[in-house]
Amino acid sequence: MKSSATAPIRQRWTVSDIVVASTLAVASGVIFWGWNLSYHAVSTLFIAYPPSASLVAGMWLFPAVLGALIIRKPGAAIYCEMVAAAVSALLGSQWGLGVLLSGFVQGVGAELILLAFLYRRFTVDVAVLAGAAAGLAGGINENWIASYYQYDAVGTMTHIIGFAISGAVIAGFLPWLATRGLAATGALAPLRSRKAHRESAFGTRVREAPAAPSSA
Amino acid sequence: MSTTTPGQPWATTGTAAPGVHITAASFSYHHADRERPAFKGVNLDIAAGEKVLLAGASGAGKSTLLHAIAGVLQDDDAGSFGDLRLDGVPPEQARGRAGLMQQDPESQVVLSRIGDDVAFACENLAVPRAEIPDRCRQALQAVGLGHLPLDHSTAALSGGQKQRLALAGILAMQPGLLLLDEPTANLDPEGTDHVRDSVVTAAQATGATLIVVEHRLGTWLNQVDTLIVLEPGGGIRHRLPASALHHDEALRAELVDAGLWVPDHDVVEALPTWLSPGQLPDDSADQALLTGTELAVSRQSSARSWRKTPPPQPVLSGLDITLDSGVATGITGRNGAGKSTLLLTLGGLLAPHGGVITASARLKGEQGARLPSSPHHWRSADLTSRIGTVFQEPEHQFVRHTVTQELRLSAEQAKVPGTKESLFTDQEVTERVAALLDRLRLTHLAEANPFTLSGGEKRRLSVGTALAAGPEVLMLDEPTFGQDAHTFGELIGLLREHLDSGGTVVAVTHDRDFLRALDADVFALTAAEAEEPPNADTSTAGATATPLLSAVRDTSWLGRRGPLAKLIALSFITIALISTIDPVSAAVVAVACFALLPVANIRLGTFLRRIWIFAAAAVMAVWGAAVAAEESGRVLLDLGLTTISTGSLEMGLSLGARAFAIVLPSVLIFSTTDPTDLADALAQQLKLPARFVLGALAAMRLLGLMAAHWTTLGHARRARGLGTRFLSQAFGLLVQAIRIATRLAVTMESRGFGAGERTWSRSACFTRADGVVVLGGLAIAASATATAIFAGTWNLVWM
Repeated sequence: MKSSATAPIRQRWTVSDIVVASTLAVASGVIFWGWNLSYHAVSTLFIAYPPSASLVAGMWLFPAVLGALIIRKPGAAIYCEMVAAAVSALLGSQWGLGVLLSGFVQGVGAELILLAFLYRRFTVDVAVLAGAAAGLAGGINENWIASYYQYDAVGTMTHIIGFAISGAVIAGFLPWLATRGLAATGALAPLRSRKAHRESAFGTRVREAPAAPSSA
Repeated sequence: MSTTTPGQPWATTGTAAPGVHITAASFSYHHADRERPAFKGVNLDIAAGEKVLLAGASGAGKSTLLHAIAGVLQDDDAGSFGDLRLDGVPPEQARGRAGLMQQDPESQVVLSRIGDDVAFACENLAVPRAEIPDRCRQALQAVGLGHLPLDHSTAALSGGQKQRLALAGILAMQPGLLLLDEPTANLDPEGTDHVRDSVVTAAQATGATLIVVEHRLGTWLNQVDTLIVLEPGGGIRHRLPASALHHDEALRAELVDAGLWVPDHDVVEALPTWLSPGQLPDDSADQALLTGTELAVSRQSSARSWRKTPPPQPVLSGLDITLDSGVATGITGRNGAGKSTLLLTLGGLLAPHGGVITASARLKGEQGARLPSSPHHWRSADLTSRIGTVFQEPEHQFVRHTVTQELRLSAEQAKVPGTKESLFTDQEVTERVAALLDRLRLTHLAEANPFTLSGGEKRRLSVGTALAAGPEVLMLDEPTFGQDAHTFGELIGLLREHLDSGGTVVAVTHDRDFLRALDADVFALTAAEAEEPPNADTSTAGATATPLLSAVRDTSWLGRRGPLAKLIALSFITIALISTIDPVSAAVVAVACFALLPVANIRLGTFLRRIWIFAAAAVMAVWGAAVAAEESGRVLLDLGLTTISTGSLEMGLSLGARAFAIVLPSVLIFSTTDPTDLADALAQQLKLPARFVLGALAAMRLLGLMAAHWTTLGHARRARGLGTRFLSQAFGLLVQAIRIATRLAVTMESRGFGAGERTWSRSACFTRADGVVVLGGLAIAASATATAIFAGTWNLVWM
C-alpha cells in the first residue's frame, strides 16, 4: 500500500476517482445548462463584433482541466468534459447532440497537454496550457468541423484566438486555483491531488506540512 | 420504544448466511499526512454472529477501523501494518461478505429508483439475474419498505427511510457481517428506533456478525453482546460484555470523560450549574425581540413566477410565535414538518409566505430605528449583527481560509444601518475575535483551515461566526446532531452565556437534553399545521428545478422505446444537419419534429416553451454571420469596419435555421428518455465501461441534492453578512459535491462496485419497435439531405 518516487504510477481509476469525477462533471453540466441560458444575454455584449464572443467561451471548457487537476489520471479531461456536455444536452442545449462532439474535441485538446507532461506535472503553467489547448480545439471544431460559424478569415482567427485565451484563463488558471483551495479543505484526501495546496506553482516539489494541529 | 417492528421474511427463506469471524493481529493504520496513526496495534477476535458496540472518544479511529474491516480503505500513500482477516481472508478479497452503512443518509443511496438501488449490490456481485428480484423483495420487506413500488423515487424517502433502504441494499447481498458507522446520528428519535430495530431483526434472522459505531451508547447497548472501547491513537482499551456498563462505575466514569453518551447518565445534571436561568436584570427581562403573527412559511416564494403556475402551498400556516430576550425556544416536530423552513423565515433568510414578522425596537437598536420591520427586507450587513443563523452543516457557513479570518469577517461585516460604516473599530474586531477564540477553545487552531477541523470544533466555530457579529437573536438548526457529549456541554455553555446577556436562542431540535439544559419553551409543530405529507423532505426542495428530474417514466410511444435506438436516430439527424449549411434540410427536420410531437405525447405549447430560448441562439447566429462572414453580393449596410451583404445575410439565415433545427430532435428525444434507462443501454448494448456509466448515473442522482445545497449556501452567505457571492458559493458547492461523492464512493465500493464482472437485473435489448425508431431517424436524415440536394442548396461543409 506504499508508493515511492520510483514505483510505477498506478493509472487505473479507483472508485473514488470515478465517482468524484462524475460528480464534478454532473455539477459542471448543470452550470453549463445555466450558462447556456444566460449566454444569450451575455453574447449581446459582443454584438458589435460577434467573433469576439469567444472570449467568454472558456466557461464551456473548465470541467476538462478541473477534472484533470483533481483526478490526475489519464482520460480525466475527456471524461469530465464529455459527461458535463452530455448532462447539458439532457437538460437542453442549443447545440443539441452536437455538444457531444464539442465535449470530446475540447477534452482531447486539454488531455493532449497533460499527456505531453506524462501526467506528472499539474502546475499552473500546465493548467493554463491545457485550458488554452482546449480552447484551440474548441475553436477548430466550431469553425471547421461542426462549423457553427462561417466568419471571414479575420473573424475566424479572432474567434479561435479568443477561445484559446478564454480557455487559458477561465478553464486553466481558475481551475488551478480551485484545486488548491479544495485541497486545503481536506476534501481531496482520497485523491491523488490531496497535496495540491502545498505544491509550488511551477515546480512539482511539495512543501512539508506545517506542524499540523492534530484535530481529526 | 419501537413503533412498528418490521416483519421477518428471512425466517422463511432459508438462505441465511452464517456470520463472519473477524481476526486482527497488531493491526495499525496511518493516514497519509497525519501526525499520529488512526489506531495502532489492534488485536481483535470477534466470533461469527457476535454483536459488538464499538465506542471511543471522537477521533479514536472507530470509523477508520470499520472502513478497514469493510475493505474500503484504498489510499496509496497511507501506511497499513499487521494483519486483518474476515474468515481467514483479507477484507479486500472478501467482496460481498461485509456490508457498510454510514452516517449521512444522502450518500447511502446510489440510484434513483428503490428497486434498482437494492439490486445494485447483487448486480455488482454477479448474482444470477433470475435470483435478484426475490432477494430485493425480501430485503425491502425485512426493513419495512416492502409496501413501496420498486420504481418509487429514492429522493422521496425521509432520512430514516433512506437508511433502511441502505440496509435493504446491504441485506440483498446476503452478507455475513453488518458494519454500521453512526447510522442514526442524523435521524429523529422515531427514525432512530425504526432503523435500530430493523438492523437487530435482520442480524438475528441471518446470523450475521454486527459491529456498530455509536456515540449514544444507550441506543444499542441492550441489543448487543459486547462493548469494545478504542484507545485514541492506540489499540483496544476494553473488551467486555455490554451489560457491564450498567454497573461498572469506573468504566462509566471513563466513558463519560471520553465524551460518550452513557445510558442513565444525566448530561444536563453534570453540566456546571446555570446560575441565572431566565433571571435577567429587570429592564431587559422578557422583552419581545421578534414576533411572528399568522405566519405561513414555504421554501418556494409566494411571489408570482414567470411561469403561470398556481402559487405554491405553504408548508405551515397560522403560526403565532414570540421570541423574548433571555428565553430559549425549541422548535420540535416530525421530519419534514417545516421546522427548518420556519427557522429560515424567522431568521430573515426566506420571505414569509403569509403573515407578518415584526422586529421590536430593541432588536433594531437605536441606530437601526429606521429599518423595516421584517428582517427579510434588511441588508445582510444589518441582519448579521441582529439575527445570527447557525446551519445544520457547519461547512455551509465557512468562507475563509483560517479560523481567525472566519471570525474577523463576521465582526467586520456588521455595519451601521444605512451606511457602509463598520459597527466595530479595527481594535474592537481584534478584541472580539481574541475573546471568542478563547470562549470557543479554538485559540490553538486560530490559523487552521476551518474545513479541516473535527466535527465538534466545526460546530463551535459555526456558532462563533454567528456570535462574532453580536446578534441578539441566535437561530440554530439541529445543533447537536451527531455531536459527542463534550461538544454538547460546550455548546450549552455558549448558549447559556448568550441568554444571560439578554439574547434569545431559537433551535430546531429533537434533543430533549438540549431543551432541558436551556430551560427552553417548546414550540411544537403538530401534524395539523403541516399541510404537506412528511415525505416531502426539505432536501429535495430544489429537485423540481431541473427539467431532467421531472422527466422520469415517460409513457408515450417514444418514451417506451429503447434509449439506444433513439440515440442512433438522433445521431443520423444531427449528422445530416451538421454536414451542410442550408435552410432546406433544416426546414425538413423542423417540420418532421413538429409532426412527431403526438408520438412523444408532448403538447405544442409545452414544446414551444421548452425551445423558445434556443430560438434566441438562432437569432444570434444570424446576426453573427451577417456581420462577420465573408462579404459577397450586394452590400446592404456599411458599418464602417464591416458590412452586411446579401451573401453574408443569406449565410446567417442558413446558419440560424440550422442552429434552430439541430435543437428540436434532441429536445424531443431527451424529454422522453430516463437517465437510468439510458445508462442501462449505454453499458449493456453499447458496451461502454460499466464503472464509468454507473458512476455518472449515480452522480446524476445528486443533481437535486446539489441544487438544495446551492440554495442553502446562498442563505448561509446572507446570514454571514455577505451579499451574493457567486464564486464563493460555487466553491462551497464544489467542496460539498466532493465530500458527498467521496462518501458515495465508499458506499458503492462496499456494495461490491468496481471490480469484476457484473450482472444486470434488467436487460436492455433491441426490439422491433426500436428498429422503427432507427429507420425513422434515418428516413428524416435522408429526406432532409435529398430535398436539399434536389433544391440545389446542399453543400458539404468539409469541402
